Amino acid sequence: MTNGKAIIDAHNISKIYNADTIPVYAVNNVHLHIEEGEFTALVGPSGSGKTTLLNLIGGLDKADAGNIYINNIDITKLSAGKLIDFRLKNIGFVFQSFNLIPVLTAKENVEFIMLLQGAGKTERLQRVQQLFKEIGLEDKLNSRPAELSGGQQQRVAVARALASKPRFVLADEPTANLDSKSAANLLDIMEMLNKEEKITFLFSTHDQRVIQRARRVVTLVDGAVAEDTSNTMMNGKL
Amino acid sequence: MRSIIVMMSIAIGLFAGMAVLSLYKGMMKSRIATVVNAEIGHIQIHDTDFKKDYEPRFFIKNANTVLHEIQKIPEIKAIALRSITTGMLITPTGSAGVKINGIIPAQENGVSQLKLKIKKGKGFSEKKKNEVFIGKKLADKMKLKPGSKLVLTFTDTAGEIVSGAFRIAAIYQSDNAPLDERNVYVKIADLNELLGLTDQFHEIAIIIQDDKYLASVKKKLQQHLPQYQVDSWIDISPEMDLMVKTTDQYSYIIIVIIMIALAFGIINTMLMAILERTREIGMMIALGTSRIRVFMLILFETFFLTAAGTPIGIFLAWGIISYFNKRGLDLSGMGKEMMSSFGFNTLVYPEFPGEKLFGILVIVVSTAIISCLFPAARALKLKPADALRR
Repeated sequence: MTNGKAIIDAHNISKIYNADTIPVYAVNNVHLHIEEGEFTALVGPSGSGKTTLLNLIGGLDKADAGNIYINNIDITKLSAGKLIDFRLKNIGFVFQSFNLIPVLTAKENVEFIMLLQGAGKTERLQRVQQLFKEIGLEDKLNSRPAELSGGQQQRVAVARALASKPRFVLADEPTANLDSKSAANLLDIMEMLNKEEKITFLFSTHDQRVIQRARRVVTLVDGAVAEDTSNTMMNGKL
Repeated sequence: MRSIIVMMSIAIGLFAGMAVLSLYKGMMKSRIATVVNAEIGHIQIHDTDFKKDYEPRFFIKNANTVLHEIQKIPEIKAIALRSITTGMLITPTGSAGVKINGIIPAQENGVSQLKLKIKKGKGFSEKKKNEVFIGKKLADKMKLKPGSKLVLTFTDTAGEIVSGAFRIAAIYQSDNAPLDERNVYVKIADLNELLGLTDQFHEIAIIIQDDKYLASVKKKLQQHLPQYQVDSWIDISPEMDLMVKTTDQYSYIIIVIIMIALAFGIINTMLMAILERTREIGMMIALGTSRIRVFMLILFETFFLTAAGTPIGIFLAWGIISYFNKRGLDLSGMGKEMMSSFGFNTLVYPEFPGEKLFGILVIVVSTAIISCLFPAARALKLKPADALRR
């Protein structure tokens, strides 16, 4: 599993809710190894722990047990402040409900991350133009989120996730709020970025269209990994 | 909408604070003006022993020299010469202790504006002798009216008890009811005749051109007339000066109370803002916004809303205060009797407290900043995973 190209290496991670009363294992002793350039889907029924696992890997939540190595750094040992800085520099996030800042334009939403990183104006402008070209929204730079469709908002969210040039992107149900056309369009962009820029994608989904396009599918049931297969194997079952 | 509420809270808080200060400033200025223009004058000159017991024998000697020295000072606007003694006012129905002021009516109108205070009666007649003005409160108490007779009894310069029968020529009313109850006015010639004086007097009341000359004129008079007691209104009425200072402090207490109310308004609104933006803040933290940046974001937001609300509040206060400064604010509905018993006019002219503007701004901005600390601290405690779930 650890051949030097590992970007995410989770060992025995667990997340328990109601630990003092009736413990509920949202994530139960999960091992997950993701290598650079993977395009992996986390699947499973509602409540199976997909989002919790993504939150733990992204450092948005603290695991109750186990270790999570991102680029060989154990993020479970990082302080809250260092974890925020780590996320800023290493991880891109795409959320189910886009979560763009409503008062900022599409361009400003993407620039926001680079501002946090202290990037200069020219660098920001170049990066924003490049990203908007990749997501096909060059003409929507100055539109506010309310003026964009759901699919367009999610594409801006992907651009925002990539603004800080992260090595991998965590996407929580990225197509859940999109129609078929927008979902396909978003997946095209994600696949293109994965193949051309070698960006690793790990996304949770129960959308069959997304699952079909993933090259690896990890199935969670009751917080534990029930199955971990390549998509060629999955396609036969689906 | 939320931002407008915070801005308006700050604007109204600032307006309320400035309105309180302007009202107090107007009341105090009015009270001082009453004390100076209608009661005491800016400066009074007496024989050094006179004020110990108001004994008539301690009149101002060398009157001509004194008046000559006073005339040399250009900042002096008006003077009034007074003979003064204390005695008993006796009527068939009762008696009261009074201060008897012997005045020259024409001079007195330029200093204490006595003529303007007449409520009943016609004033002093040039031909008639032994006429008296009494205050409304005393007249009501003694059931007296213009034309009623009364007897004033007091000691003369030789220490002998003398009495004079007087007829009420007018009933006056000032803004200071206790003073009205205590002071009666007669013509100086009538009083001097009973006291055994001729052209002498006990008191010179002085009105100066402007309040700002008070200290310098007092100093000049003290230098030129070292053998006399020269007092400014602050020396004569220290309680008035104390009242001004106390009211000043009291007004700040009122402002603090207003600010506490404002603080709770801001805390509530900012807490609502954070509640509404929980997902947004959670997302920002998730993407890598440090907690100090989130804290500063809320702090700056409050600061900018304060900065936006402040000019609105100042402009609002300036506009409304200026309006009432010209028209006057009638507070008679709040209790004319009560205000009069404290020596206040019920028609107040609020004055914009420009000199306290900086202090108020510091208080308002500090209140806003301090108020947002609690909501900001709440925002810092947000866990991104929990916040994003909402």
